[in-house]
Amino acid sequence: MELLLQKFSEVSFLSGIPSALLFVFAATLIAVSLFMFVAVNAIVAVYAERKISAFMQDRLGPMGQGVGLHAGKWGLLQTVADAIKLLIKEDIIPSLADRKLFILAPFILFIGAFIVFVGIPFNQHILVADFNIGVFYIIAMSSIGVIGIILAGYGSNNKWALYGAMRSAAQIISYEIPLALSLLTVIMLVGSLKMQDIIIAQHGLIWGILPNWFIFNNPFTFIAFFIFFISGVAEVNRTPFDLPEAESELVAGFHTEYSGMRWAFFFLAEYANMFIVAAMSAILFLGGWQSPIPGYMDSPAWGLFWFMGKAIFLIFVMMWFRWTFPRLRTDQLMQMCWKYFLPISFINILGVGLWDLWLN
Amino acid sequence: MGIETSTLDRSAIHGEEMVLNIGPQHPSTHGVLRLQVLTDGEIVTKITPYIGYLHRCFEKHCENVTYEQVIPYTDRCDYVASMNNNFGYAVAMEELMGIEVPEKVHHIRVIVAELNRIASHHLAIGTFGLDVGAFTPFLYCFRDRERILDLFELLCGARLLYNYIWVGGVSHDFPIGFVEKVYEFLDYFEPKIQEYNDLLTFNKIFIERTADVGVLPADVAISYGVSGPNLRGSGVKWDLRKNEPYSIYNKFEFDIPIGTGAMGTVGDCWDRYYVRIRELEESVKITRQALDQMPREGDVHAALPKKIRPPKGHVYSRTETPRGDLGFYIISDGKPKPFRLKLRSPAFTALSCIDEIARGWMIADVIAILGSLDIVLGEIDR
Amino acid sequence: MIRYFSNIWQSITTLLIGLRITLVHLAKARKGIVTLQYPEERWPRPERNIGFSHDSYNVIRSRLHVDIDDCIGCLKCVRACPVDCIHIKTVKVEKGTDILEANHIGITSNGTQKRLLLTRFDIDMSECCYCNLCVYPCPEDCIFMTGGPNSSKQEIDYEFSEYNRSDLIYRFAKVPKDQVEKYTPPPKEKVKIDVAG
Repeated sequence: MELLLQKFSEVSFLSGIPSALLFVFAATLIAVSLFMFVAVNAIVAVYAERKISAFMQDRLGPMGQGVGLHAGKWGLLQTVADAIKLLIKEDIIPSLADRKLFILAPFILFIGAFIVFVGIPFNQHILVADFNIGVFYIIAMSSIGVIGIILAGYGSNNKWALYGAMRSAAQIISYEIPLALSLLTVIMLVGSLKMQDIIIAQHGLIWGILPNWFIFNNPFTFIAFFIFFISGVAEVNRTPFDLPEAESELVAGFHTEYSGMRWAFFFLAEYANMFIVAAMSAILFLGGWQSPIPGYMDSPAWGLFWFMGKAIFLIFVMMWFRWTFPRLRTDQLMQMCWKYFLPISFINILGVGLWDLWLN
Repeated sequence: MGIETSTLDRSAIHGEEMVLNIGPQHPSTHGVLRLQVLTDGEIVTKITPYIGYLHRCFEKHCENVTYEQVIPYTDRCDYVASMNNNFGYAVAMEELMGIEVPEKVHHIRVIVAELNRIASHHLAIGTFGLDVGAFTPFLYCFRDRERILDLFELLCGARLLYNYIWVGGVSHDFPIGFVEKVYEFLDYFEPKIQEYNDLLTFNKIFIERTADVGVLPADVAISYGVSGPNLRGSGVKWDLRKNEPYSIYNKFEFDIPIGTGAMGTVGDCWDRYYVRIRELEESVKITRQALDQMPREGDVHAALPKKIRPPKGHVYSRTETPRGDLGFYIISDGKPKPFRLKLRSPAFTALSCIDEIARGWMIADVIAILGSLDIVLGEIDR
Repeated sequence: MIRYFSNIWQSITTLLIGLRITLVHLAKARKGIVTLQYPEERWPRPERNIGFSHDSYNVIRSRLHVDIDDCIGCLKCVRACPVDCIHIKTVKVEKGTDILEANHIGITSNGTQKRLLLTRFDIDMSECCYCNLCVYPCPEDCIFMTGGPNSSKQEIDYEFSEYNRSDLIYRFAKVPKDQVEKYTPPPKEKVKIDVAG
């Protein structure tokens, strides 16, 4: 952001424009590009998910013989066609639904996912704002989404939706805790909440061969990574934690009554959240934009490549989970959180503290 | 099970409990079934199944068609195991008419019935996996089931509703190369059971979801008249193929798998599921033996009069379908049409005990229990 | 406590086994695909090759077809049908008033003398249950299902979807529509209105 404003001020023909207007212009530009990123991410991820699931299940997935009535080569245009279909679909609001909440809900969920992107560093320079409370900001903002889910469930006036919303609220709030606790281990080691500081702290080698990523830093952060990632999967309601939208139990959960563009916003938010969890895992534990071989291939372009590569790999792991595992039950979900993840997270914090004390 | 809603306790409606209709349009009711569920939060306090959405007057229809024409109707009762239904009707009719069918016919019938049992259990396993949220095992099961359907298509042209086993024989002989293809399928299929086990059966999440859930004790199962894999899952060694052998099942060696409570209690969902998995292996065994022993030459029809007119009398005969004891009660008055035909459906009895075993569990468990009972609504509603 | 850790251990190992299976399938995706691209690729229909003495059997299950030139109007298929989807009306025609289009005189390919004029031979494929029972009693082998062993007589047709349900009624009788009236004997009493017709 600052970089962009600075660039603007250097351009001569923009110098006459007041700086406030320039700021608005820059912010809009960034917002639009972020939105484009979210949308493209969703389109690509949906296509990838369909293909990955198909190949895992010995199917072909979306296919086509060419442009035209078919969905392009290998079905590449399938999700584009889906997006167009969703855009032009009839907007249905149930007559007994709470109209205001019903309309508001998908946007709240989407905004919760969208504004998190402000704090995510894509490489050394591409970062909208490097807050000094970066991690805290992301954790706080990503919890806004649950309000959208509850509103969607409540506003739909549908029992399935209500069940989905209630499950979702319990689930997301519970899993925030192990998520935050395993995140603390990293913050303890870095001593900063700034995203770039966390990534820079992971520069270099450890044990002589491994990159100095926090996942390899010590055994406790190794466990913390998995707790963080699995809790993240639970936060974004993906299988095996997709209870809020469990299609075999709750029909479609909180978005049962949604269709068309409003439903598409739920979908966008889901894939945006997936990206956020993958990106956060990559930044906190896998070195963000750091190259796996320190000193090589660490220009900003490569940084973007490494960051996206790590994030995409983790998204793939989430899809892999989804197409392999059955779904947990509500009480088992809670049991897993409170009986397994939470104690282990506490031990992790203690362990990391002692490790740090002992080594330094 | 009446249609009126007054069966519900009025005071409960005004309390903190919520009435939830699972079905008739719901992803996991295995057909068109409505479960009226009284819930207290996630906990289910009462389940009332409402059936009849798929009622087709099977029994009344049968009174108006000739004995041969009943067979296509029996296909449509349990549409995932049509061969077994045809088999049950043919056995009943042959008992009524006192027909001895050739040895070869017996073998052919056993082979197709066991193949269809494998196909039907595939569906049961796959959809059960789907009910607890695992999507991939479902498609693996359908991939292998498809091979059996291909075999049946080669055999009788149809993929689902075969009309193959007729009174006094079967409609056609095996095509050339069919026996080899069945062997090929069995060789292909046997290692796949391990894949299902690895992917689903011994998956910890799956065990957590199904073990100790929906326990059907043996005495409750017997008093409800539950049969088939559901009864065997409760630890009762009862299989008509062994206990009351019909056709030539007494010639083959096979075990009856029963639930042992390996992962929880005897008679839980996991046991019912695992009995089906092990029955796949037993069916493969029977099929192999039948193929080995089958006489290659011979006629596939018993000597029958041109028009089937059984003597006056009645017969009740039951056979073991993938879902349990399928009974046919046929009264003949000497005319070419049955005077009365009653079908005793195993899935109906299995569904009737759902309130008993699923009460007190969560909504997610009700779906799992319903899946583990492996009901087919075409047979329940008839 | 032991159970606590064994639970964790079991979860990790069994879930990893599951993950391995799906990954193997993903890796072998090129070989393992079992589905076909339907409109472009077609499932091979099972070729019928029954070598025993059952050549007269028909094992394809698809659309019913009638060689109307061979039909003698014996109504055996009508009686065999469990769902009454075949409707036949026959008339005895006096000599000299023949309709040439109907081709109702002469002999069938099996050598049987035709005696009746078929004013109506309708098969309602929306009612058909594909049980194949009508095929067996036909003395002239003129009703059969398309494709498969009969593909020499009629090409396979199993994708006969229509926009209108009445389009699924296949009319095989060759008598021109305007002449049906002429050859239908006047109704003696009340005419039963046929729903399918």
